[in-house]
Amino acid sequence: MNRCLLLLLASVILLHGKVTAASTVEAEQRLKTAVDEVLVTARNTPNGKELTDNLRPVLQKYVSFGVMTRRAVGPGWRQFSKDQKAEATKHFTTLVIRTYARKLTPGKEPSITFKAASAPAPGRIEVPTTVLNDGSNYTVTYRLEQAEGWRITDVVIEGVSLIANYRTQLDAQFKKGGPNAVIKSLSRSADRPK
Amino acid sequence: MKPRSYLAALLVLTSVTFLTSCASTARKSTDDSGSAAAGVGPRDAKSVQTKEDDLDEYAASSVADPLEPINRVTFWLNDGIYRIVLRPLSKGYELVIPKVVRTGIYNAYENVKYPVRLVNNVLQGNLPGAGQETGKFLVNSTLGLGGILLQSDKFPALAHVPDVDTGQTFGRWGIGQGAYLVLPLLGPSTLRDTVGLAGDYALNPVTWVGVMTGGFLWTGSLDWTVSIPAVNTLRSLPEYMDNYDAATEDALDRYLAARSVYIQYRAEVISK
Repeated sequence: MNRCLLLLLASVILLHGKVTAASTVEAEQRLKTAVDEVLVTARNTPNGKELTDNLRPVLQKYVSFGVMTRRAVGPGWRQFSKDQKAEATKHFTTLVIRTYARKLTPGKEPSITFKAASAPAPGRIEVPTTVLNDGSNYTVTYRLEQAEGWRITDVVIEGVSLIANYRTQLDAQFKKGGPNAVIKSLSRSADRPK
Repeated sequence: MKPRSYLAALLVLTSVTFLTSCASTARKSTDDSGSAAAGVGPRDAKSVQTKEDDLDEYAASSVADPLEPINRVTFWLNDGIYRIVLRPLSKGYELVIPKVVRTGIYNAYENVKYPVRLVNNVLQGNLPGAGQETGKFLVNSTLGLGGILLQSDKFPALAHVPDVDTGQTFGRWGIGQGAYLVLPLLGPSTLRDTVGLAGDYALNPVTWVGVMTGGFLWTGSLDWTVSIPAVNTLRSLPEYMDNYDAATEDALDRYLAARSVYIQYRAEVISK
């Protein structure tokens, strides 16, 4: 009987391992495809202004801007109306795309090495990468979550999370004037010239 | 269905239950409503309805900032000095000095900072790190012609040795970061890192040059006691300006953005 239980336990553990490994591989593959597409876009775009526009459709395929916006706003998101949520997401999407585009140099291609992914929680994967750009080496970790396929929900550069950074700023705006202050500050930054 | 198939089905079922229970315990079940999907597009609709999602996943800034009004003033003064004086100086340096020479100067100064890295590795109890730093210093000082060429990267054991500093040592010892401070010219710091900076300063031979020759008193001529520390500042400027711009462009509040970037980065440096 004990042997049967042990066998059952071992099988469950093995099965979990396989499920996690399979998801990790799928998420990593998805990320690699996304990064490849971004790099091809950067290589084929001659200037920074166009790069932001050209990256938009690519990133919209692989990034969950909805999740990013909600987490950047934090618990205050519950006080947003349907329209306010839509507007905040629209502006935040523009800001994130622009911030990401700035990290790339048009016409140049950084060398990216993917490292072993980890699964901090089920349905979540973190993929560390090292980027060699113009002689400088830095670490970029991508956080992906399963939501109708794997989607990027945060980018962490040298330990600095894009979402945590905006969270600090949006929290202050929310405390100042609720959803309207958040939307106003987002739209002001998004409308700034590229 | 055969008994074996039942067993397989049971296994799958337990796996799913196990995974689900993990998911709900790992994250607080706090998500609001599906209306969050508005305007996000149909592809995101499901993701924002995920039950386990946690709106408070990224807690707001984790540093005490009791001096925020003063810090903000220093921040804007620094910003002005960067814009009017230091950025043009940095651009001029990049324009006049070829990249290969700038890299050589940068490497040489980094090589001289060896005591900072050696002492802090020892203080952190990282003897292999201290050994690597010593190896790196010897290789670069000899094969690298006084540290100008980064020859140590050619040895796998000496390539990518993580940088260490005194503030990091304090952090590893469990000393808290204390209040957030914006230092004149030097920018974001904390109480702990400011004391650490004084340690780095004292351990850096570039500082010793001035002390050994009678302090930093202006002697009337631009001799090497002035030019060595001056070039040290200049060689770090382009990198500092790039980091400052990366932290503050596209920000909603540049002060808060710089603070968040600094605090997150230092936490990473200490946890590595």
